[in-house]
Amino acid sequence: MAEVSETTAEAPDTRGTSSRFADGVFAVGFVSLAVLLIGTLAIQAAFALGPRTVTERCIARGIIPFVPETATSPQSGNAGSPGMCHILEGILSPAQTAVLLFAIVAGLLAVIAGLATYRRMETRRRRNRVVVGAVFGIQASVLGAFLLWFIRATPEKSITQFLNVEALKVDHTFLLRGLVITLFMALAAESLGIVLGVLLSLLTISKRTAVRAPARVYINIFRGTPLLVQLSIGYFGVNNGLQLHQSVFVVAIVVMGLNAGAYTAEVFRAGIQSIEQGQMEAARSLGFSYLQAMRYSIVPQALRRVIPPLLNEFVILIKDTSLVVILGLPLQRLELFGAGQQGYSDTYNATYFVAIAIGYLIITLPMIGIVNAVERRLRSGLVSVTGAA
Amino acid sequence: MPNEDGSVVHLEGIHKWFGENHVLRGIDLSLDPGEVQVVIGPSGSGKSTLLRCVNLLELPSQGRVWFDGKDITDIRTDLNEVRTHIGIVFQAFNLFPHKTALRNITLPLEKVLHVSPEDAKARAMEQLTRVKLAEKADAYPGQLSGGQQQRVAIARALAMKPRLMLFDEVTSALDPELVGEVLQVMKDLAADGMTMMVVTHEMGFAREVGSRMLFMDGGVIVEDGDPRAVFSNPESERLKQFFSQIL
Repeated sequence: MAEVSETTAEAPDTRGTSSRFADGVFAVGFVSLAVLLIGTLAIQAAFALGPRTVTERCIARGIIPFVPETATSPQSGNAGSPGMCHILEGILSPAQTAVLLFAIVAGLLAVIAGLATYRRMETRRRRNRVVVGAVFGIQASVLGAFLLWFIRATPEKSITQFLNVEALKVDHTFLLRGLVITLFMALAAESLGIVLGVLLSLLTISKRTAVRAPARVYINIFRGTPLLVQLSIGYFGVNNGLQLHQSVFVVAIVVMGLNAGAYTAEVFRAGIQSIEQGQMEAARSLGFSYLQAMRYSIVPQALRRVIPPLLNEFVILIKDTSLVVILGLPLQRLELFGAGQQGYSDTYNATYFVAIAIGYLIITLPMIGIVNAVERRLRSGLVSVTGAA
Repeated sequence: MPNEDGSVVHLEGIHKWFGENHVLRGIDLSLDPGEVQVVIGPSGSGKSTLLRCVNLLELPSQGRVWFDGKDITDIRTDLNEVRTHIGIVFQAFNLFPHKTALRNITLPLEKVLHVSPEDAKARAMEQLTRVKLAEKADAYPGQLSGGQQQRVAIARALAMKPRLMLFDEVTSALDPELVGEVLQVMKDLAADGMTMMVVTHEMGFAREVGSRMLFMDGGVIVEDGDPRAVFSNPESERLKQFFSQIL
């Protein structure tokens, strides 16, 4: 634009003003979602703080007070039934149904109002509010409808199978130890994988086919077959066949390390090859040998770039430790999935699987958080990777 | 120790193929001590390839390079040792981005020349002062302007005490207002008697500082002579055409 505008202290707000209607749509959408989430939690909290008894309705639905085995009668009822009963009572309460119906209706209203009007909004800010209101509305009505379906079905079965904290008490020591063992196995395998991966990646970037070929064969075989198969061959085939007499625990870590090495090698190769050719030329022209150039210039820079994909590999490895269950670890060495399965077979209660899912998340979520933070840092240029200013 | 003919470096019948592409088609060239040889020519004429053949960053497909009285194209030559005597500065600076300006300079001194850390630091600061960047010693390349980065790159090469400096279009990636500071460093260097080979598009610099000018086209040296003479009186049609396009 040729026109010269007056200098102002603040940048002009190009998004424009809002309006009562746009704010209204946003409010309806926001309230529908907020009522759904906060209302449901509040109802559950209210019932949790109430009397811990097993009501008639719970008994009618099969959540029966637990009676231990005696000489005259076998054990009966559900362990932890008072705890499960208040969850069920909360879900079945009229207040819960009212919350859900309100959320669905208000949510749908926001969606309809938003979709019908967002194209005709005069300012960016208004359109933005209307669209966000409609999005909240969609989330509230979909979530509300799903919960309503859940309530109308047989929530008592889900509660006893997924939310029976009492059942966890039977084998809870396995769970905690399983968490530690899973982390230990993953760390040990990853350490082996990184050492192997660095060596393999250096072989794969060689200009000589004779050097590259064996590394490529190794990588392709380990990347091209399931870890489950590798574990089976490693234990039943190699360990038994060669009379190595190693425990499942050791074999599993070694096989997972060999497997991680193949993936890590590809990550490192990509990292090394992403460094500008000029870095190698600069180093060589200063008299560095190839290995010195790698060590002082290329590899340190590549390492920074491969941190996010490497952590991703580690997250996958943590989850893959669950495959060791097919080899059968001894009871005192059970990793997290094995521990959960042990608990399940002792109690026939799937709450164990919910518990170990949470266990995996406790390890993996911080990792994923670190990956995202590092990626943001790399993108923001704090770790400058290009020479140009 | 110069070559038998007194030159610092001597190229003999250099050919270079990239696949089917015949980039250098028989180059014979000598650089005498203190000479500032300026190489000009259209893009794709082989100037940079020729420059990179001098320190064997590109291996000639055919021909020999004599340095220190030895044929350094001989496979048994220790190129790492040879390259410590030949400094090169690139268009893209190629500083190590994860090291400070000072560390960029001390690293090769310590790891290649095995200079003690204290001496390396002293030598690095001397060169940084020379390129007027002593106060930027602890800055990372990403915190420096293009002109400053290029001056650090020159200081890094000079700290190795080379007998010959190669410059590969060192101002081409710079914003126009930053070109001057880099050219000034190169002028000072030429005045100090450094033997230099400069591939450049800066015609003013070429005429003013160069003691000999080469015009390359199609992988051969088309004209070779005193810069002022070449400028005022180009002999070949191709050079006349080249000047008419760029001036």
